[in-house]
Amino acid sequence: MAPRRRNRVAHPWYDRVTHRLCTGAVALASVCLSLTAGAQASKPASAADPLSRGLEAEDKRDRVGASAAYREALTGALSVGSTDGDRIAVALLGLERVWNDAGMLDSIVPVVSRVLQFRPTDPTARGVQLRTYLSMGRDAEARDAFTTWRRAAGNEAAPFREYARLLLQAGRALAADSVLSEAGRLMGAAGAFSGETAQLHLALKRYVPAVRAFREAMLDEPWLETAALFGLQRVPAETRDSVRAVLLAPPVTFAPRRLLSSLEFAWGEPRRAWSAISTLPADDSTTATWRSFAERAELNESWLVAREAWTAVFDRAGDIESQQRAADASLRAGDAAAALNIVRRKSTVGKVADSVRVRALLGLEIAALGELGRGNEAQQKLDDAAKKLDPDTRASLARPLVAGWLRAGEVARAKAAMNGTELADDDEMAGWLALYEGDVVNARKRLLRAASNRPELVDALGILARTRVEQLPGLGEAFATLARKDSTGAAKRFVQLADSVGAAAPAFIAQGARLSRKNEAVALYDRIVRDFPRSPEAPEALLAWARALREAGDKPAAITKFEQLLVDYGTSALAPQARRDLERLKGAIPPAV
Amino acid sequence: MPVHTRFARVLRQALFLVGAVALFARPALAQHLLLPMDDGQRNHLKAYGVTYQALKAGQKAEWFLNYRGGAFLLPDVPDLRKRAALDGVSVEPLSDADVASMRAEIAGGNMDAVVLERSPKIAIYRPVDQPPWDDAVTLALTYAGIDFTSVWDDDVMKGDLSKYDWVHLHHEDFTGQYNKLYLAYRDAPWFVAQRERDLSTGRKFGKNDVPGLKKGVADNIRGFVERGGFLFAMCGATESLDLSIASFAVDIAGPFSDGTPPDPNADSKLDWTRALAFQGAHIEPSPYVNALSDIDGHQVNVPSRRQPLGAFSLFGFSAKLDPVASMLVQNHRTVIPDFYGVTTSFNKAVVKTGVTVLAQEDGAPWSKYLHGDYGKGSWTFLGGHDPEDPQHAIGSAPTDLSLHPNSPGYRLILNNVLFPAAKKKPRKT
Repeated sequence: MAPRRRNRVAHPWYDRVTHRLCTGAVALASVCLSLTAGAQASKPASAADPLSRGLEAEDKRDRVGASAAYREALTGALSVGSTDGDRIAVALLGLERVWNDAGMLDSIVPVVSRVLQFRPTDPTARGVQLRTYLSMGRDAEARDAFTTWRRAAGNEAAPFREYARLLLQAGRALAADSVLSEAGRLMGAAGAFSGETAQLHLALKRYVPAVRAFREAMLDEPWLETAALFGLQRVPAETRDSVRAVLLAPPVTFAPRRLLSSLEFAWGEPRRAWSAISTLPADDSTTATWRSFAERAELNESWLVAREAWTAVFDRAGDIESQQRAADASLRAGDAAAALNIVRRKSTVGKVADSVRVRALLGLEIAALGELGRGNEAQQKLDDAAKKLDPDTRASLARPLVAGWLRAGEVARAKAAMNGTELADDDEMAGWLALYEGDVVNARKRLLRAASNRPELVDALGILARTRVEQLPGLGEAFATLARKDSTGAAKRFVQLADSVGAAAPAFIAQGARLSRKNEAVALYDRIVRDFPRSPEAPEALLAWARALREAGDKPAAITKFEQLLVDYGTSALAPQARRDLERLKGAIPPAV
Repeated sequence: MPVHTRFARVLRQALFLVGAVALFARPALAQHLLLPMDDGQRNHLKAYGVTYQALKAGQKAEWFLNYRGGAFLLPDVPDLRKRAALDGVSVEPLSDADVASMRAEIAGGNMDAVVLERSPKIAIYRPVDQPPWDDAVTLALTYAGIDFTSVWDDDVMKGDLSKYDWVHLHHEDFTGQYNKLYLAYRDAPWFVAQRERDLSTGRKFGKNDVPGLKKGVADNIRGFVERGGFLFAMCGATESLDLSIASFAVDIAGPFSDGTPPDPNADSKLDWTRALAFQGAHIEPSPYVNALSDIDGHQVNVPSRRQPLGAFSLFGFSAKLDPVASMLVQNHRTVIPDFYGVTTSFNKAVVKTGVTVLAQEDGAPWSKYLHGDYGKGSWTFLGGHDPEDPQHAIGSAPTDLSLHPNSPGYRLILNNVLFPAAKKKPRKT
């Protein structure tokens, strides 16, 4: 009894054995009864196969019935001359589950011993035996069981693999290490244990050996890729380059690259994730991987990477969907020129009817042209394709066209393109129109509801949020001038408006400074800091001023401005940036890489 | 106009005036500024710089040992406020009454107030052309804004160390074997340049080889401590300095560095009575084994002997009875992740009796941070290369301390810098 008392401390389920002694006794009695008189059982289920009865009883949480049924099944399967491995395995595992739940796991030990008399190398029975001993803390008996299995199994790797796996699960990495080392020495085939070795290294946080072992193991056991991904995600940042080196090393094979790609995604490096798989030889498997990668990149809103992946898919498969999604990703990434190139490419692989191409790609082409300020071309495209389009499609294509006109500051043409559409209800379109017309109240109301987060919209909202007047036609002209790419003219207009907008003046001057040449901006920064020292634009102006001085090579003056910001606006959100810039300028921290 | 209406108007004007004054007035100066060094401090490292600059400007400072992580008390003057604001250092203005109450609290616990009376003159032993980012102390002092002078072999051999209060050594190999990097880096431009420079310096002082020069340098450093200097060494300088001092009369260097094999009986001929910290260590004679001796517990460059990194714990000392040791371990963390270096730790078996162990890894046979007296001076050894880059390698990017303003490991370095500024008290233990 002594070992039991010792084990009670380490294994709480032994407490349950004590508490449920009566229950266990009843269960055992039932098992014995069922073994001797199972045939006489009167319940309807007795007629069914004992394994089925066991599973049903387990579902009903009838542990006594389940254990009796499994014992019956086991006895039947173990009769001399007809040892049925599958039935034995199912019955044994069932008994293990039931008795474990009942807190009487040690009861399985004699049952397993009986099975092993008939089938000395049965992997299920051996596994149950090892698992039972280890979970009960009977380490010496577990070691003996492992030794016996090893002798019985000859040159098989299973005993080493199972024992090492169980030790690892129990968090005993060093013990698992000695088992795997012994296996390598005795069997001379360390590669056969790569999966277990990898898990061992992971448990010991030896990440580089772990990734080497995983790479080797995945040759024969490709399913380990998931385990590798799970385990290697926690590699610390400073070790990741070493992990990359192992997975990128030649020969270039599919599984390690795909694993690295998934890891890079998990580490927040989507570009590297794409690099890992982009150079794989293009075949069907690779294309499928690229496709799923691109979808994942879209979900992750890594638009540039998604574009590259979809473009690679399009080059290989030539399908319209990948072309469409590549162009869309490019537009979302803010690269309208590349989007235009993509939609105008013709596949060299598959043939797609022109009408299908137009329907799928025209909207993207018009949007790209609009983004690039080429409204005339976009209008021409739409007019050329008009005959091939139904009214609904044509109406749906009006939005990118109108957006293009608005982005180019062409208010009249935008209004003309809106005729006959429902775009007057579109907050972004209507908001920009209101802004260009100087209707500050409506512009603020509509643009606030716009779904986009384009930089020019953010700028406009910033100004609108500070402007308290209701009508300001000059503001519309300033934004329209800016949209027509005349930043100098727009800057002048914003600065001129400052005198008529009250407390919003520093915001207008700051906008003017942002649009001005650096040497002209300095006077505006000075004006903000001098005349509006309590405005939120003052620390922003000081930071921009200091940076402009630094870039002009006037280090002492730049230091003075950074220091002024830190002393006068120490609680500003810009203070950490200013402090870092100041420290770098003084040489107190390494230069930026 | 009725009197009460006029009165109301005057009252409104007075209130407006008070409000305006309150809005626009700068905060009035208190009598003292407390720089807390517990988790309330935004930039622990720069706080040392603010204190150092106060001392340099002739201000008086106090170091409150074991009080709020080892806080500093400075006078509340505009320059210091400005400096703290620029550096992002948290300060708490205190009145005389606040300070009196604080002193009462300090008097009643394991705390003490140490007066810092002057800014120490600091020298860092480093080649002039070395970029500052390779040495943790240079990084720390540069970031904190603490002045220092670089000294190198010429200066040491000429006896210039006597100009300084505090000298720091970093990863130099004072046995003249370049940390046995010869096999791996003998053709690297930086290695060739370093060797040429050392040979040239050696010839100026009548030394024919690098081990001879470095032994001379090590002996000068020993003399500096013996005469009352403060020495702080990190990484490989700790181990190699003592090996060099102990081997003053015996050849322990490999043939690649001086052309002759080491004395086969070198171990038995080492004179440990001259050494600062260690005794009874064994020389590693093989040029292929990248270790100098068995002093280092971790042996990071010997794959078969390398020990994994753990964490080390700082000892707590009695601030009133043992102020020196207390100063050296002031920190807002007591358990700190370990970091590798050419010498990472010190095997306890070879540490001299009487040396104060300031930090060690619990349960491990090595210690991390040592302090001792030697002659009229004292020395401190800290194992490892860079507290914020646990596996720093040659060519690694320099550590940007603005990303680690609260680094407990770097605080240990800066404790050493301010320790010589303390007004000397007779040691009670």
